[in-house]
Amino acid sequence: MARSTSSAPHYPGSTAPQAPAKRAAAPERWDKPFSADMGETDVDLLLAHPLFISTQPGRFPASIPLRGILKNDARLRRFQKGEIIVRQGDYGHSAFVILDGAARVFLKEPTAEQLGHRRQVRPTVWGSFKRWLQRPRFAEQTTNRRSAAGLQMTRDGEARIFLQDVPGVLEPDRTALLGPGEMFGEIAALGRTPRTATIVADGDTQMLEIRWQGLREIRKYSPEWKQQIDQRYRERSLRRHLAETALFWNLSDEALGLIADATRFETFGEFDWHRAYNREREAGERERLEQEPLIAREGDYPNGLLLVRSGFARVSSRYNHGERTESYLGKGEAFGLGELVAGWRGKFRPLRHSLRALGYVDVLFIPTAVLEQHVFPQLTPEQLAVLTKDLAPASAAPQPDHTGNSFLEFIVAGRFINGRAAMLIDLDRCTRCDDCVRACAATHDNNPRFIRHGPESGGVMVASACMHCVDPVCMIGCPTGAIHRESINGQVEINPDTCIGCSVCAQSCPYGTIQMVALHDDAGLPVVTEETGEPIRRATKCDLCIDQPAGPACVNACPHDALLRADMRSFDDLNRWLRR
Amino acid sequence: MAAPLKSFAARRALLSLATLALVGALALAAWLGAAALRPVGLYTGWLLLGLVLLLAFFNARKKLPFLPLLNAGTWLQLHVYAGWLTCFVFALHTGARLPGGRLEFLLWLCFIVVAASGVSGLWLSRWLPPRLARSGESLIYERIPLLRHRLETEAKALVHQAEAETKSTTLADFYLRELGGYFARSPALLAPLAGDDADYHRVKLELAALRRFLNEREAALADQLGELLEAKRNLDAQRAGQRLLKLWLFVHIPLTYGLLVLIGAHVWLVLHYSHRL
Repeated sequence: MARSTSSAPHYPGSTAPQAPAKRAAAPERWDKPFSADMGETDVDLLLAHPLFISTQPGRFPASIPLRGILKNDARLRRFQKGEIIVRQGDYGHSAFVILDGAARVFLKEPTAEQLGHRRQVRPTVWGSFKRWLQRPRFAEQTTNRRSAAGLQMTRDGEARIFLQDVPGVLEPDRTALLGPGEMFGEIAALGRTPRTATIVADGDTQMLEIRWQGLREIRKYSPEWKQQIDQRYRERSLRRHLAETALFWNLSDEALGLIADATRFETFGEFDWHRAYNREREAGERERLEQEPLIAREGDYPNGLLLVRSGFARVSSRYNHGERTESYLGKGEAFGLGELVAGWRGKFRPLRHSLRALGYVDVLFIPTAVLEQHVFPQLTPEQLAVLTKDLAPASAAPQPDHTGNSFLEFIVAGRFINGRAAMLIDLDRCTRCDDCVRACAATHDNNPRFIRHGPESGGVMVASACMHCVDPVCMIGCPTGAIHRESINGQVEINPDTCIGCSVCAQSCPYGTIQMVALHDDAGLPVVTEETGEPIRRATKCDLCIDQPAGPACVNACPHDALLRADMRSFDDLNRWLRR
Repeated sequence: MAAPLKSFAARRALLSLATLALVGALALAAWLGAAALRPVGLYTGWLLLGLVLLLAFFNARKKLPFLPLLNAGTWLQLHVYAGWLTCFVFALHTGARLPGGRLEFLLWLCFIVVAASGVSGLWLSRWLPPRLARSGESLIYERIPLLRHRLETEAKALVHQAEAETKSTTLADFYLRELGGYFARSPALLAPLAGDDADYHRVKLELAALRRFLNEREAALADQLGELLEAKRNLDAQRAGQRLLKLWLFVHIPLTYGLLVLIGAHVWLVLHYSHRL
C-alpha cells in the first residue's frame, strides 16, 4: 500500500504543505536486516547450536519464523582481547550470547578514561576564565582534535572501543568470567534501561548479537527462552526494583521474593517510539490518543497493580465525548492502588482512569491476591487513608491549573514529560533579548547549543534544547558510546573526541535538539576528510554547562527570570514556577 | 528545579520596601549632615559615583557568563532598585535644581536621559512580552525578513494559481491593489504602542468583501490567503515589538558610557578646584 511520506510541520511562510506528497512502499518488518553479512549458512549453524537446539521453530508463526529472526535480527560479531562489548551506563538495543571464547564482567568499574570516556573534572572559575580568554574566533573551531583513547576504526568504517591498560584492569579479582552459552545485555535491551555493567572480550571471542525486536519475538514464542530471560530478570533486577518501590519498603526479604515470583512483565508500545512520534505529531490529539496502546481501561475491575518500570503512561478519564489527561506516570509509579485498597477493605471500586502507553512502556503486573496477602496488611492506617482519600468519582469539569488543562495535554502530547532538564521559556517575561543564546555561545565554542524557538502553549515555550531525557533514545545505537549519561548529575553529554559524526543520535532524537555541525580550522574554513573532501562534522547539543562552575549559562544569563531548566516529572513544581 | 519560593509580587514588595527604607535613611543622613555643616554634596557625589558604577557593571556581568557572580536575574533586580535609589541620590546631590555650568548641564541631561530610558525600558520589558505572546507564534527576530519574503512568495503563488485554474483575475487584481503592498510593508516604529493592526483588519475586510465575486475554488484559495494575512499580522507584531524591545537599549547603553566619561570630567573638575587634587 502506498502512503504519503510528507509530514513537514507548517510554519508561517513554510512552503512545505504545498510540496507534492512522495509515495513509497509501506515499510516491512525486515526491510533493514541487522547485518547484511548474515548468510543462510550462519543461520543453519546457529539453529544447530546448543542455544537453539531445544527451541522449536514450529512454535513461531509463519510470518515471523525463527530462521527469519536469526537472519534479520541477529548478527555474528568477533571481538578482540580488551575490546569493550557493553559499557555500564550506555543504552543498548541488543543482547549478546557468547558462542566461542570468553568475556569478563567488571565487578568494580574501571575509570572513565579507561572506558574511553572523558574524565569528569570539577569546574573551576579560573579554568572557565582561561577557556573564555582562549575562546575560538570561529564557531566549532578545532586545530588539534585529540584522537580518543581506545577508539579504533575498522576498514569498513566500524568504530570499536578498546579498554585502556588491559593487563592492569582485567585482574581476576576485579572481574568475573563469562563463558560460552552465557547471555548478557537482555535486560537493558528489553527494558530500555542503561547497561548495568561493563563487559569486555577476554581474548578472541565470537558473539551472537540479537537486537531487541528479535529477542522479544524469541521470548514470546519460545517458553525456554522466556523462562531463562524472566528468571534472570527476577534474579538480577526485579527484586532490586521492587525494593526501591516505596510501597514495599517495610516488607521482609521473603515477602519481597514471593511478590517477585508472582510478578508478570508486560510491555506496551513501540520500542522505537520516536519514529512513530515523528510520524504522528501532525495528527490530531484525539487520533493520537486512540493510537496509544491501552494498558488498563476506566471502569474495568482492577485485578492487579501496575507498576511502571520504564517509559511513560498517560492517565486519562472520559469527559463527555472525549478523553482528558489527568496526569502521567513514570518509572516507579503505580496505577490502580487506591481502587485495590478500597476493594480489600470491602468497598469495591472500578478503575477511575484509563492508562495508555506513551511510546514504549515496560510494566510490572502484581496480582491482587499477592498484594492482599503480603502488602496491604502491612500498611499503616495513615498510608491507607492517603491511598483511599482520592477515590471519589472524578469531577465532571477539568481541574484548572495556572495554564489550564491544555498545558498538561500539551506536554503529554509533545512527550516533553520525558525531559529532566527541558528548557522552558515564560513568554510573558521573555524580552527576546537573546542573552541566553549569547551566553551559551560564549561558553561553547562560539556556537549556541540550542535554538530559542519551539512549540508553545499557554505562554510557555519548550525551546529546542536537549532535555536530558529520562528515556534518552538518542543514546541507543551510538557506535562509539560518545553520547553518554554523566554519572554525577545525569546529564547526557557528547564526548567530542569519540564522536565520529555518524549522526545516529541526531536522527534518533525525537525533539530535534542535536545538531550536526562542521568543524572549522584557524582560518574559519571547514575541516574536510582526506579521502572524500567532505566536511568533518560532529554532533553538538546542550550539555547543561557541565564544565561551568556556575551551572547552565542560559539560566544564569536570563535577566527576567524567564528561563527554567525543568524536570518535567514534577508537574507541581512546574505549576509553582508558572504561578509566580 | 530551582523554583523560587517567592512570587514576583512578594519580591517586588520586599525590594520596594527595602529601597524606601534606604531612601528614608539617606534623606535623614543628608538632613543631619547639612545641619552639622558637613560637605553633604561631596558625600552624595561619591555615593552617586559608586551607584552609577554598580549599575554600569550589570552590562559587564552579562559579557562574562562563566562567572559565578550572582545570576543575571538577581543583577537586574539590583539594577532596577539601585537605579531608583540612584535617582534619589541624584536629586539630593543636585538639590533637584537645574545646574548652571555647561558641563554640569550636559551631565544632568545625560543622567536624566539614561534614567528615563531605563525606566521606559523596564516598562516595555514588562508590558510588551505578554502582548507578543498572545499575538501568535514567537519568531526569531533575525529570521523575520526571510519569513516575510516566504509569505510574499506564497501569496503570489496562490494568486497565480487562482488565475491559472479559474481564468479569473479577481484575486490577482486584489493582489495588485492591496495585498502586494500589505505584504511588502514594514510596521511603524511605535506600532506596538499604538496597537496598530488597522491595516491588517482593513485588508482582511476587503478580502472578505471580494467573496461574492469568487467561485468555490477561488474562495478556497482566498481562505489560504486569509491565513497568510494572519501570519503577516503576527510577523509584523513580532517584528515591531521585538525591535522596540531592542531599540531602547541603543539609547540606554551608549549614553551610559557617555555618562561615565562626563562623570569622570566632573569629578576631576570638582577635585581640582576644591584643591584636593
